[in-house]
Amino acid sequence: MEDADEVTQDVFVRAWQKVDSFRGEAAFGTWLHRLAINVILGRRKQLGIRRERFVDGERAIGRLPENPQGAEAAIDFEAAMELLPDGAQQVFVLHDVEGYKHEEIAEMMGISPGTSKSQLHRARMILRDYLDR
Amino acid sequence: MSDHWTGRLSEYLDGELNAAERSELESHLAGCQECAKTLEQLRQVVARAQALEDRSPAADLWAGIAARIGTDTRDAAVADLEEHRRRRGRLGQRRLSFSLPQLAAASVALIILSAGSVWLLSRTEGPGAETLGPTGEPGATLVSAPAVSGFGVAGYDAAIAELEGVIEESRAQLDTATVRIIQENLMIIDRAIAQAQRALAEDPASIYLNEYLAATMRQKLEFLRQAAQMAGAAS
Repeated sequence: MEDADEVTQDVFVRAWQKVDSFRGEAAFGTWLHRLAINVILGRRKQLGIRRERFVDGERAIGRLPENPQGAEAAIDFEAAMELLPDGAQQVFVLHDVEGYKHEEIAEMMGISPGTSKSQLHRARMILRDYLDR
Repeated sequence: MSDHWTGRLSEYLDGELNAAERSELESHLAGCQECAKTLEQLRQVVARAQALEDRSPAADLWAGIAARIGTDTRDAAVADLEEHRRRRGRLGQRRLSFSLPQLAAASVALIILSAGSVWLLSRTEGPGAETLGPTGEPGATLVSAPAVSGFGVAGYDAAIAELEGVIEESRAQLDTATVRIIQENLMIIDRAIAQAQRALAEDPASIYLNEYLAATMRQKLEFLRQAAQMAGAAS
């Protein structure tokens, strides 16, 4: 089974188990989305997802094919995202892809908003090198 | 390039510098081509991230979920009206019902499979993976007028427009995730309404479809009421 499918099931099962803890302090959708993010972050930790990680950003990014077009470009951008170090990668996805604010990311990841900002900038600067090739 | 200013470009891009800092950085950008170029590249990175598309599940996940929470899957029939229409001959006029777990599971799948959520887990699907369009179906247009909470079509439209206006006015005060969830859920409801209307156009006498459309329209109204109430409280 694909990891994404499996974690989707995990999220529902967790929501099923935790729904009693929903106190209506936020919209149900917000609660559910947060729960989903927490499940996903926990899952990553559990699986020890450590693929080929960034050591030298320019060198790692440089291994990707140059000048991809159309759908290939989107896939290649995701490949570049995959080379980001864990912390920077998670903050980048939560902020720039999902639209969370630094304060929200800090709370979810147990870091300070300042760390979230610096990780985001780090990620963007690495990915900038990808676009600049 | 100024290292000091390069390190603040993301904050500038996100509107997080105070007025004095912003002014100082803009003065610097006017005379530093390298920083200006870096800023433009960072904008492109953000645009790429925002353009990533959501993905739908590769398969129906309900059976696995039901097994884990100990729910019977025998009645986990069709949650999709197009599929319902294809099977209609076999099912006759039998009315389909949707259990809470089924609907919840469908909602969860639709809500969490946003681009970033799936991606965060890590990219495991190949290039051919099915994707959802960024906006889904266009907003629904009423083609029939089932009874919706006592409104006629005009009254319903006016109520919807008024509630949408309230939410739009308070949008800036709402939590980012909340705005996102509201948009996604409205998209899902509009898609269901449009689907029901298409099915009704071909089968206007269907009691099930008429009731389903009316229920979905009521659901949209109630959802907007709750969202507007929340938006009003936040502003």
